[in-house]
Parts: sequence; C-alpha cells; structure tokens
Amino acid sequence: MKRLLVLGLAVLGAATLSGTAAAQDKPRCGAGNGTAATGAPIKVGGIFGNAAPGDFSSATDAAKAFFDCVNASGGIHGRPVQYMIENDQWNPELAGQAASKLVRDEGVVAMVGNASFVEMSVNAPLYARENIMAMASGCAVSECFESSSIVSTNQGPLASSVGAAIYAVEELGAKNISCIGLAIPSVGNWSCGAVEEYMASKGLAGSSVLLNPAAPDVNSGLLEAIASGADTMLVNLPAGLAIAVLGSAKEQDIRDTYKWISSTPLYDRSVPGALGEYWDGAMFVNAELTPFDGTGPDNVHWLSVMDAYAKAEDPRDTFSQAGYLSAKFFTQMLEAMDPGDIDVRAKVTAAIKAIAGYRSDLICGPYYVGEVDRHMPNHAGTMVKVSGAGFEVVRECYEYEGPYFAPLIEAEKKFGLR
Amino acid sequence: MAYSTSGIAGLAFAALTAVFLPVLVGSQWVLIFTSTACFALAAAGIGLMYARLNMVSLTQVGLMGVGGWVTLRMNHGLGLPFEFNLLAAGVVTAAFGMLLALPALRMRGLYLALITLMSAGGIEIVLSTFRFPNGGEGFWGVMPSVAAPFRRPVLAIEDGAYLRYAIVVSTLGMLLIELHRRGAPGRAWAMIRRSEAAAMASGVNVTLYKAWAFALSGLLAGLAGGLLAGSIGLLDAATFRAPESIMLFALAVVGGAGSWPGAVIAAILYRVLPALFNDWGLNPDLALVIFGAALLHAIMTAPEGIAGQIRAALPRWAK
Amino acid sequence: MQKHIQSVSAYVVLMAAIMTALTWAMPAKIVGLFVVSGLAVGSLYALGGIGLVVLYRATGVLNLGAGAIGAFSVMLAWQLDVRGWPAPLTWLAAIGVATGLSLIYGRLIAPRLAWRDPVVKAVATLGLALIVLGVTAFLWEDDVRKFSLPTDEVGVTILGLRVTVTRLIVACAAVAIVVGISLFLAWTRVGLQMRSLANDRDLSALLGVPILRVETQAWGIAGAIAGFTGLMFGDLVRLEPTIITFLVIPCIAAAICGRLHSLGLVLVGGLSIGVIESLMTLSPTFKSVRSMAPFVIAALVLMWMQRGRRPLFAGDQ
Repeated sequence: MKRLLVLGLAVLGAATLSGTAAAQDKPRCGAGNGTAATGAPIKVGGIFGNAAPGDFSSATDAAKAFFDCVNASGGIHGRPVQYMIENDQWNPELAGQAASKLVRDEGVVAMVGNASFVEMSVNAPLYARENIMAMASGCAVSECFESSSIVSTNQGPLASSVGAAIYAVEELGAKNISCIGLAIPSVGNWSCGAVEEYMASKGLAGSSVLLNPAAPDVNSGLLEAIASGADTMLVNLPAGLAIAVLGSAKEQDIRDTYKWISSTPLYDRSVPGALGEYWDGAMFVNAELTPFDGTGPDNVHWLSVMDAYAKAEDPRDTFSQAGYLSAKFFTQMLEAMDPGDIDVRAKVTAAIKAIAGYRSDLICGPYYVGEVDRHMPNHAGTMVKVSGAGFEVVRECYEYEGPYFAPLIEAEKKFGLR
Repeated sequence: MAYSTSGIAGLAFAALTAVFLPVLVGSQWVLIFTSTACFALAAAGIGLMYARLNMVSLTQVGLMGVGGWVTLRMNHGLGLPFEFNLLAAGVVTAAFGMLLALPALRMRGLYLALITLMSAGGIEIVLSTFRFPNGGEGFWGVMPSVAAPFRRPVLAIEDGAYLRYAIVVSTLGMLLIELHRRGAPGRAWAMIRRSEAAAMASGVNVTLYKAWAFALSGLLAGLAGGLLAGSIGLLDAATFRAPESIMLFALAVVGGAGSWPGAVIAAILYRVLPALFNDWGLNPDLALVIFGAALLHAIMTAPEGIAGQIRAALPRWAK
Repeated sequence: MQKHIQSVSAYVVLMAAIMTALTWAMPAKIVGLFVVSGLAVGSLYALGGIGLVVLYRATGVLNLGAGAIGAFSVMLAWQLDVRGWPAPLTWLAAIGVATGLSLIYGRLIAPRLAWRDPVVKAVATLGLALIVLGVTAFLWEDDVRKFSLPTDEVGVTILGLRVTVTRLIVACAAVAIVVGISLFLAWTRVGLQMRSLANDRDLSALLGVPILRVETQAWGIAGAIAGFTGLMFGDLVRLEPTIITFLVIPCIAAAICGRLHSLGLVLVGGLSIGVIESLMTLSPTFKSVRSMAPFVIAALVLMWMQRGRRPLFAGDQ
C-alpha cells in the first residue's frame, strides 16, 4: 500500500514535472536506452530506521530516486528494479520482521541502501544464512562493519572519528583528545576506543567520555571531558545530542579554550543554523563522503536525480549520497552480469563480492567488497569547517591511519588496489 | 478441576493458532506473531496483578529485559539447551520480582505503581549502558562484532516451529495463572483484594501471597523475555525502555486485565497493529494516538476492556 | 510532626553522606563545578516535580501527561518562531496552549474519574500522554532543531562554572512557584478550598466546596507550569518531543522525595538528585550509570516512608 502510494506520488510528481517542460532535462541513470523499462522487475530490498533518536531514511530515499531514474532510463538489461523499503523504527523485532519479509517472502536478490542503528546487528546472521549481500549506506554500529555479508558506502563513527582526530593532530596541533561518545558498547566504546588507540600509536593522550542517549544532563559529561586534561574535544554523537553538548559548551564559553572537532553527524545542512553564530569557524567536522555541494560528475548527478525523482523535502545529506552511491554501484554491477543470472541470488551475491575498484567522486578511495569478515572500503574522508550558514572544506581527501585500518590495507593490497 | 467455557475456548484458540498460523502466514508475520505470543505472556502477568490484587506494575517489560538478559547470558556462557536457559530466566526474574516486592509490600495504589516505575527507569539505564550479552568475554559478555549464534530449542529451529513453541509456552504460562486462581493463592488474593485487614484476620498470610503474585508475574515476564531473545537471537535495550512498560500496562487495561483474551488483545494491539500500520503505509505515531484514546475509553467506560465487551456481546451459552 | 522532622533530617544526612563519599579527596574546585552543574540539572527535575505536585495536591491526579504537554508546547513555540512570530508571543502561545490542553483534560475527562483510585487517575493521564505525544511526533518529524531563549546569551560565573540566565530563571521559578503556591494555599479562599479537597474530597463536597471550579483552576495553573517547564526543557535539555515527554519520570522521582505533598521538599529532592547525579561522574564505578540516581533515590525515599507502617488500614499510601 505504501509502495503504491509512493508510486502514485512519483507518477503524479513526474506528470507535473513533464508539464513544466522539465522533461528533457531529466537525468539519465544506468546504461538503459532512454525508454521506460518494462518486463519482469528485479526485486531489491532496503531497510532504514526512522523513529525518535533519528531519521536515517535519506539513504533509502536516495537509492529509491536512483532506481526510479534507472527504470525511467531503460532499466537494467531492459528490466525495471522493484525497490522495496521497510522502516525498522529502531526496533530489533521490526528489523528482523522486515528482513524476513524482504529476503524470504519477497525473495529479493540483494539489499541496497540499508541505513539503521539496529538492522545490521539483528540481520547479519540471516543475510549470511540466506547467502544475500547487503550493500548498505548507513552503518552506525560495529556489527555492521564486522560482518561478511554487509558492506557500506559510509564510514560509520569509528572511521569518521579517527579521521577527525587525525586532522586535529596533524593540522590543529592536538596533543590530548577527549572523545565524547554514546554509552553503547558497539557505538561509543568502539569508536572512541579506536581514537584512543590512534592517539596511543602516535605517543599522544586520548580518553573517552560516554553519555547515556536519554540522559537529560550533558553538562557533567562535558565537565568530565574538561577534567581529563584534553586540549581537543571530539564530539562523536548523533546530531541532537551533539548540539546539546555544544550548547553546554557555549554556556561555559569554552569555545576558545579547546579545539572542537566532530564526526560526520554534524555535517548536515541544518546544523550550522541550529548551532548558531557562536560556532562559526570554530567547529571542524569530518565528512565521510565528499562535500554535498561538490562539483564532481557523480555529485552533480546525485543532486539532479534527487531533484527529478525524490521529494523536495527529502534531505540531501551524507546518507543520501551514500544511498545514491550504493544504488549506483549495484546497478553498475548488475549491468556487467549475464542477464540470465540476475534473478539468481547466489550469482548476484558472488558478483557483489567480486566488486573491486569501483570509483566515484563521492568517495575518496576505491570501493570493493571481497570475501572477508570485515568490510570498510571507505576509510578516507574530507574535513570541513562550520562557516556562516554552511561549511567550508579545510582538507581535501585524506586517508586515515591507525591500528584499526592496518588489516583493511593488507586486504586491499591483496585485491591489487594498492 | 472444572472446565470453563473460557478455558476450553482458550485452549482451542492456542491449538488453532499453533497449528495454522505458521502455515498460513509469510515469514514476516511468523516473527510478528512470535513477538505477540511473548508479549501476551507478559501482559497476562500484568493482568494477574491488576485484576487479582489491584496492583499496578509499570515494570513488566523491564522484567522481560532481565529474563532476556539471563537467557542470552546462559546461552553464550554455558552449553545448556534452550529449555534450561529459559527456565533460569524465569526463576531469576521471579526472584527479581520478589526482591521488588519487598519494599512494595506495604505500599499500594499509586505508591506501588510509582516504585515499579522507578524500577523500570533503573532497569532501562542498566540495560542501555551494559547491553545484552552477544558472546563476548566477561560478565557482561558484550563484543563489538556480530553476535555469536543463539541455540534455539531442538524442536523449534525454524521460525514456524519456534512460533508454535512460543504459543505453547505462553499457553502453559496462562494455565499456570489459572491453576493459581483456582487454588489457595487465588482465594487468598480475592480476600486481600477485598480487605487486607479481613484477610489477615482470617489467617491469610498477606505478605506471602502478595510476594507470590509478584514472583509469578516476574516468572511470566522472564519467560516472555527469554522467548523473545530466542526469536531474534539477540536483544536491544530499546525494546525494554520504561515507556514500553508503561505502554504495555496501558494496553493490558485496554485489552482487559485478568483474562486470557485480554492479554492476547493487549499483545495484538502492541505488536500486530503497528505492523499493520507499517504495511498500510500509515504513520506509526498515529498508533500512539489510538492507544491513548483507547486507554481513556477503557478506563472510563469499559472496566473489563475490549475482552469484557466482546464477552458481553457473546450469547449466553458461550460465557 | 516529630516523625516528619526525623524523616527530613534522615534524608539530609543520607544525601550529605553520599555526596561526601563521592567527593572524598577531590579538589574543591572540581567539586564546585560539579555541584553547580548538578544544581542546574536538579532545578529542572524540581521544576517538573513541583508542577506535578501542585496538581496532585489539589485534584489527586498525578499527571503523567505533563511532559507530553510541555513537549507539544515547546515544539509549537519553535514552529511559530520559525514562522517569524516575535519571540515573546511564541512563549505566550506555548504556555497558553499548554494551559488549554490541561484544561480540556481537567474539564472533560478528569471529572468523570473523580471518584476513582489515585492510581486509576494516574493511569488515565497516560492516555493523555500517548495522544499528545502521538500528535506531536506526527506533526514534527524527527529533525535537527534547536530552541533557544535570549537569556541563553547572558551568564554569571558561580564557583568557576558559568551559569546562563535561563538556568537561573529555572531555579528562581522553582523557588517562586513553591513560595507563591504555598502562600496561595495558605491565604486565599481558593487555596483553602484546594487544601480541603486534598484532605477529604467527600467531606469538602458536603461542605459546599465548588469542586469543579476549584479543580479547573488547579488544572489551569498546572498546565501553565507544564508549558513553562516544556520551554525550559526544550532550551536546556534537547528539542526532542520523546525525550521531553518521558523526562516526567525523573521529575516524578523528585516529586516522590516531597511525598507528593510538600513543595519545599520536592525542591530539596530535585536539587539533591541533580547534585548526586552530577557528582557520580567523579566515580569511575558509577559514572556510566549515573542516570539511575533519580530512581534509586526515589526508591529509597519510598522505602523509608513505608517503614514501620502496618500493611492493614494503610489507606491509599
């Protein structure tokens, strides 16, 4: 029903657009011939989370827009993609039910664009058992990266935090970083732990302050970070909580006493406005994908696809880029497959695992999958600074280092990507 | 023991659902109904305390979390079969419920409800800080990678069989309540509910039987939490937050406390209705509005909840 | 009275002991920071708790929906602010809407439950909480938002910690409401009627106290306090409806410290909970579970209150 509704809206939207002479400007996606695809649809699934702690739906929204564009441009081997999306509402039971519906009942050939806090931890065993790959876009917990059947285009809190820490050490002269994260073992402890390891590997000091997600009081967490003797504060929290912490810091007027860095959640268009003038020019944020106002061909294409096929109010943020990219890589992979094999899940899974060296200007490094227990192809990022009502790039693509990435780099050498 | 129409209907309902549900519905709905069976068992515990003793327990879902934690801890720590883990979850949670009963014994009404609410708040913080064991080292047993495998009961490896298993366990739990209701505890509860002074004067051990109700309700919550852990293979703290306990209590009142259809209706509202909303593309927030309105309606005009209204509408022979 | 003094002094001794244990051998400067920070949080708990107790004393209803009403009103204020309304008007609108919602419930639904147990009345307000939260979450989908007041920009330094005027307003409002309501109850006719209702509803009705009118006034006052509390939570905690709605649970903990009766003790309870929660940050063992402080303290208070009471003839408590 929801699908029908969305479909109806999309048709309606398309009709209005074509009426306003925008039809010829519509972007093309995939290798199709330009006439709308017909024939048996290729079933693809996606799970996102949208409930109280945050809305990750922009990843699947973007993947949906891309697939709609593919279908309008001629499909994959002439066939349309039927993209089915479910919301897990941050509830592990719902996540399991959604995956069961898509993987078992609907028989999708792959999952694309998944973005959630809980879905991956719950469903990784199911994906492995059913031999299906998830080309995710919004991984936020350790389980998501440490699974053989999930690979994501985004970086997650660990890589992004370490990336921010590297920038602070190399360019801001940080000697002692306090990482303020969520008190959830597979999120805060995991990612802030890696920051501490990175600092230790450089002979510098690092510490973690962990906040309970529902706690009303962020002030004492901030005070704890101050008491650690740090010279740099790394805010590694969901945007809402991060803004509360920075509000507390503003209250203490300690902006100039410390250097302030953050992982990607604060790289969002509405953040500079919510932070206000006080943080203008003082807040350095790591961007997992390249900046969303970039001029690379994929970035421009992403925006035009969103304008043509997504709702105007769907956010154009990092997760949206990541969702677009997963869908694009998936399409690219299917187009290279034998048309007779694309309905066979095992063949699609094997083809996804064989992906090596896909490139895009939306990510700094190559995208690859491989038959390994840990996937984190994207571990190079960009650093931006809050500037006026937006952001300003302060460091172009740079690769992260540290103990956590050593095995990944080994694997990349094996794939011949280095 | 005499057989009541309601009891026979309950057994028939359980048998029918156990036989046909796994065959008739898709694998998504098998999981939804498994959750429903778990929460029906927990809601039956709430109904027991509310209908028999007028005690409001706002921590039942938190207690389910305790049961789930024990099940996962046992599963990843020892090589015992599922049944032992589930039983341990029930026993530990019952003991936990008793512990909660100690300060609560002298309270009633609002203050009792409040102390259970405080307990729900405390459990929420502990679970969200330490999380559920997933096969890691140490007491808390949490590791950052994908959870170690969960051993389901030998008889119920597949989701469909597990749904049957959950229905059977829930039915046994409800039969246990019925057994209590018809035995000495049931008579004691009835007297305590009417007047503690009178009950005490006629030689009823008020302390014992009140603590007993807490323990029984805790046992059911523990079993429900263990079953839920087995359904998904892992648990997340978000499932057991204090607002969820409040919600399940509200729905137990809406469904109708103190009867098996009431508990089943509560669980259906709690798990099936949001799933239907999801399928129909309706905003899940609207379910909250419906729950709220239904709660007000139930409290003002339908003291026995939806189950009571259905019963009233049935012909006389079916009552 | 003697028992009362005994209880209060036992509470003060216990809190002081916990605070001393947590701050043992810590530099005074650090302790000062955490104490002030704790007082700031504690005054939020106290403000919420006081709102609950004001209504409970007059009507016997513990309004679990107060948080949801506050959340709705601050979201509305944010929305109107975005639409370009002048700031003071948005605050008035928020408090007005909160008062209205509270009055609707107090006038339409509460009277129909007037003769039920306090616990049933409390459970019914859960219905209110769910409806208001559902509507709020439906109207304002999850997004990054910030609600701020002009008073956030100005601050004073207390024991090394900078405290914004907004936080001072919260603390002063909590004290002012305690004093104001106490005077109101002691000196005005309606206050007298409220006290008599709280004591014995049946007798008051027999004596000719206009129950409905008095209770409606209480709902109005409580609604305005809930709206004000919502604005403060939205500014000082986070602008997220679910979080603000369920902050009512720690606020209940503060209310319990005042036995749901004494406004002054609610204030003391809220502040001490806040300080202990904040000081727990200093302990490596307890810092990760410091949010449990309100619940543990409230449970201890409840247990203390019940000591020595015989189970029979115990009334509703």
